[in-house]
Amino acid sequence: MEFVVEEGKRVDEECSTLILPALSIGNVGQLAVDLLVSSTGADRVGYLDDPYLLPCVGNDAYGPLPCGEISLPLEVYESPSTATTLAQQRSPVAKGMMIKFAENIADFAASSGKKHVIVLSSLDFQRLHHNLDMSRGPQVYYLSNAEANGRDEHCERLGFGRLNEYDSEGRCWKYLCSVFDENCKEELTFPSEDELEDIDYYPSLPFAALFSAFKARGLKVTCLLCYCSEGDNIPDAFLLTRRSRSCRLHVGSCVWRLLFHPPIDVSNRVSSMK
Amino acid sequence: MEDVLTENPPPSRFIQDDLNNFASPPEPLPSPFIVLSNPKPDLPLKPSLLLISLSSPSLYIFHSLPSKTLIGTLILPELPVSGNTIEPSLQDKSCNIYSLSNDNSILLVSVQLPVSPERSNLVSRLLVGQDIVPERVIILDSIQSRNFRGRLSPDETLAAKLETSSEKKAAATSRLNLDYFPSGSVIDGLSASLLSRCQLKNIRGTLVVSWPEFDPSVVRFLGALLKNIVPGLDVASVGKDLEMYSSRAGLKKDAWVESDLYT
Repeated sequence: MEFVVEEGKRVDEECSTLILPALSIGNVGQLAVDLLVSSTGADRVGYLDDPYLLPCVGNDAYGPLPCGEISLPLEVYESPSTATTLAQQRSPVAKGMMIKFAENIADFAASSGKKHVIVLSSLDFQRLHHNLDMSRGPQVYYLSNAEANGRDEHCERLGFGRLNEYDSEGRCWKYLCSVFDENCKEELTFPSEDELEDIDYYPSLPFAALFSAFKARGLKVTCLLCYCSEGDNIPDAFLLTRRSRSCRLHVGSCVWRLLFHPPIDVSNRVSSMK
Repeated sequence: MEDVLTENPPPSRFIQDDLNNFASPPEPLPSPFIVLSNPKPDLPLKPSLLLISLSSPSLYIFHSLPSKTLIGTLILPELPVSGNTIEPSLQDKSCNIYSLSNDNSILLVSVQLPVSPERSNLVSRLLVGQDIVPERVIILDSIQSRNFRGRLSPDETLAAKLETSSEKKAAATSRLNLDYFPSGSVIDGLSASLLSRCQLKNIRGTLVVSWPEFDPSVVRFLGALLKNIVPGLDVASVGKDLEMYSSRAGLKKDAWVESDLYT
């Protein structure tokens, strides 16, 4: 994966938190990143060129009128005011190449000095086998590498629910760990599609590959997840957007202002296309 | 009423394999490559203008141009060449490279073979930035109705463009006078990969998409567009078989779907 800096732009090394979407049901992660780019006024600084990403191009994704600003499949934005780098993915990864893609993007994050990675994703409500506690409204779940069992004290204090379905000893989670960890001596076999069971749903998702890849590169990684169904997923994106801002390690005054700002109407601007 | 459980999801949603880390990867394929008629070519070729046709109307125009010289071809190893004729034909599954001048300053590429999205990156690297390093690229494709958010009437001729940043900065008089492709719609496949490559390499690039996919009006429109870009281009002979063209079977239509890869 090659990072190409846009002509005339410079990378700000202070933007050490990386937020990116994982492909997921309803494109929620991508919608959320679009909202973050819009609301923080983040500026595009470059592109990531990866051989496993399917090609697509489009017109400007953020303005109300087609101003002719080309959009590519994987773009990098920076918001110096919030010290955040945002990577927006607009097209799918080639079938069977998600692990390679995750490895590449983890290499980019590590080599560019990122300290914390936040992955935004949704989960299929229909795959849930227990009732959600909706008494406090829609819930955001998290998975972190702060502790071995996925727990993170910072996320607990923020009121996020821990993803109980994470089992570091589960065969698919262990397999993911083994493919990204150069030091892993255990040889695990690739689970065939016929062998997969319900419990393998979570580690089969792109967010799990990204989580395992960033973790193997020694980066702090937090996945923020919400359950949803296909449909109008903008409210789900707003939920993840707000929670991702509060999840960042360093919260400056401008970020707190963003947290309590009224939702921005981007109904005619959000265009994560694939 | 359509069955919402079994109908294909709309273009912005995913299929199961898009979201599966454990989907089987495809069998590896040999890389595509370019073969040139000059046995000792001076690579990379550095044309001032590279014109790439993917749409049926543009392929028809390129094929009809009288004074062009075949200088090479791009080979996709997974595609058989059986059935191709010795003299280039619109029915061939080929990707021929032509020169419009002795010094190879203007090159044409006629993409008459189906290039899957997964192979697009490799093909676009060969054509832009590897074996060929152009100063300016113009790509001609059709609007993809599956990725277009709006109505496309079969009776209305449309054309729009997307440009790279360096093309946008160029003098207005040298740029194509077309509306921009609307926001919210996308273009995927080889033409998207080619334009992306131009953006990444900071090359002047324009992707022109037209509609309908097969129509004499689009042929006439693109002929005039190309004449504007290359004033010396002989497009007079392009209209001779236009009516035959409009009823011709076998011209490329979403050709990658018809590829042997997907049988």
